[in-house]
Amino acid sequence: MFNALQLQTLHAAIDRIIPEDDFPGGVEAGVADYLLRQLGRDLAHLAQDYPRFCDALEAEAQAAHGQAFAALKDEQQDDMLTRVERGEVQADWPLDPAAFFAEFIEHCAEGFYSDPGNGGNRDGVAWRMIGYEVKG
Amino acid sequence: MSRYDAIIVGAGAGGGVAAGLLAEAGKRVLLLERGPDLSYAQLGRDHLRNQRLSRYGHNAGPEVEGNPRTLEDGRVVRPHEGGYQNNAAMVGSGTRVFGARAWRFMPQDFRMASTYGAPGGSSLADWPISYGDLEPWYEKAEWEIGVSGDHRAMSHLPPYRRPYPMPPLPNNAQAQAGLAGLQALGWNALPIPQFINSIEYQGRPACIRCQHCVGFACPVDAKNGTRNTLIERALRSGNCELRAGVMVERIHCDSGGRVKGVRWIDAAGVAGSAEAEVVIVSAGAVESARLLLNSATAREPTGLGNRGDQVGRHLQGHTNANVRGIFPQPVMDNLGPGGGIGTCDFNHGNPGVIGGGIIIDNLIVLPVIFWKSFTPPDLPRWGRAAKGFMRDRYRFVGEAKATIQEIPDPDARVTIDAKVRDRYGIPVAHLSGALHPETLRAAEFMYGRAEAWWRAAGVTKIWGSRPSAGLSGGQHQAGTCRMGDDPETSVVDRWQRVHDHENLFVLDGSVHVTNGGFNPVLTILALAWRATDRILAQW
Repeated sequence: MFNALQLQTLHAAIDRIIPEDDFPGGVEAGVADYLLRQLGRDLAHLAQDYPRFCDALEAEAQAAHGQAFAALKDEQQDDMLTRVERGEVQADWPLDPAAFFAEFIEHCAEGFYSDPGNGGNRDGVAWRMIGYEVKG
Repeated sequence: MSRYDAIIVGAGAGGGVAAGLLAEAGKRVLLLERGPDLSYAQLGRDHLRNQRLSRYGHNAGPEVEGNPRTLEDGRVVRPHEGGYQNNAAMVGSGTRVFGARAWRFMPQDFRMASTYGAPGGSSLADWPISYGDLEPWYEKAEWEIGVSGDHRAMSHLPPYRRPYPMPPLPNNAQAQAGLAGLQALGWNALPIPQFINSIEYQGRPACIRCQHCVGFACPVDAKNGTRNTLIERALRSGNCELRAGVMVERIHCDSGGRVKGVRWIDAAGVAGSAEAEVVIVSAGAVESARLLLNSATAREPTGLGNRGDQVGRHLQGHTNANVRGIFPQPVMDNLGPGGGIGTCDFNHGNPGVIGGGIIIDNLIVLPVIFWKSFTPPDLPRWGRAAKGFMRDRYRFVGEAKATIQEIPDPDARVTIDAKVRDRYGIPVAHLSGALHPETLRAAEFMYGRAEAWWRAAGVTKIWGSRPSAGLSGGQHQAGTCRMGDDPETSVVDRWQRVHDHENLFVLDGSVHVTNGGFNPVLTILALAWRATDRILAQW
């Protein structure tokens, strides 16, 4: 579904949506696993669009900085994602950047905060972080 | 052709009560349920597919594919999608996965038109029965299904003749904060009556205060619905045959209007039928109306009981005003079910408002639901600040929730969409209409009351969500086969017998003329109890 560059871009983007702090970032916490699993299930209708989204992010990074998205500094990635969120893009996007970005961040949050049974939130790390304790 | 004394369509709240009482009285009962009978493990704890958040499906049904409804804007929606007005489709239905609130309606809720006058465009009306008529069955349902609460705190109601069978659950941190706020305001506070065991009751244990109550089944069977009480009693009697995974397509009548039986299609697509002396429809306000409409005959070409063009109208549920705030101290202490305290000071008597509703502190909110719906509107939706808010504030945010009595509107309705069929080939329900403007006015007032409460409780930042005008129904769906003495303006009589049909009854929220400012399930149960006792007395 994703080639190596697309996957690298996707991981980099996920880790800006849910960045590492005292607790793991999105990828380490299983958000990419959640997303890949869902792209074969409930989000199968986006299985073509997600690689295109990664390509577009990459094209955007090349247009603005002449570098791969994953190679940019955190602040540069954040600035670029903010522009994508607002639909202010330079590259040629095959999908609506703001609309797709809104879906993307929702999927990231689902992978991070929902139950580990859905493939993300590895070992309940997000629940430990916020203080949601499953007892009984 | 199989023959029974009674066929019941739908094994939820009303149908479950009828099954238990009829079977224990020696009647041979066929209890039909379109959904499966699911175990605790099958219902699971999926945070994205449950009766609280149905992002990608439902744990409690119906199946995502093959059960569409259509909406006024032309959309064909699946059960987990917005506008569908879903209720659980399985044995026990909502009483298996509900938040388990066990409210009685108030005396005024049965005479809304007399109390307030019917506003223009509404179908606000009095019930043909009073609180006093229903009270003995409220009490029966509280004892035989099992409610915890404090009858002395229910000062908004006439004095109880019998206390609740169990004391209330202890307050968690949010309820303690809420209680302090109510006391500061001088508002009457009460523990929310709940279908949850606070002590061992009827051979089942007390609640273990887990964090997956509403939306899920109970891990220790301390949540009381029909499946573990009246349906279990029905099956134990040996007189009830439960068939799950069976969709009733049509009710059959003879030429004189006497109901003969029903025809169904099972999960394998095989048609079947049975006959009975009595047929009881308990499929919920959307599906019961659909079944009556789909059962049209030459004698009743627009559907059974539809002489007055009332079947499917007045669809209502509850709209909510939700106020959230950040407390100085943690209010989420992981002690479920959450939502222990409330006030009934604003169900009636509000200046310039028709009705009102309860205000309560909310149940425990799952993390992903919190992220989707409970964060402040000015919070960034991604990045460090978004994550940091969840890390630092999830346990400090509480919600005050007002459940608002809706003002019925005849154009909020269920009709049949003959162009779209479900997996069984049956024409689906079409939903249309919107909330009456008076409902939104009441909601605005209640938002202000909830906000005042939360400020008094000590929140340092406050925000919330007000209802939109969209059609309501959902898990509190009601009104589509309203009760009345006049067949021209109602569908069932005061004993829930369909007008012009001596042996056809509707036992679910459909019969509610109005739906109170309370979760309606105790009223559905009590009404079903009363109607079934009457059926037996007259048999």
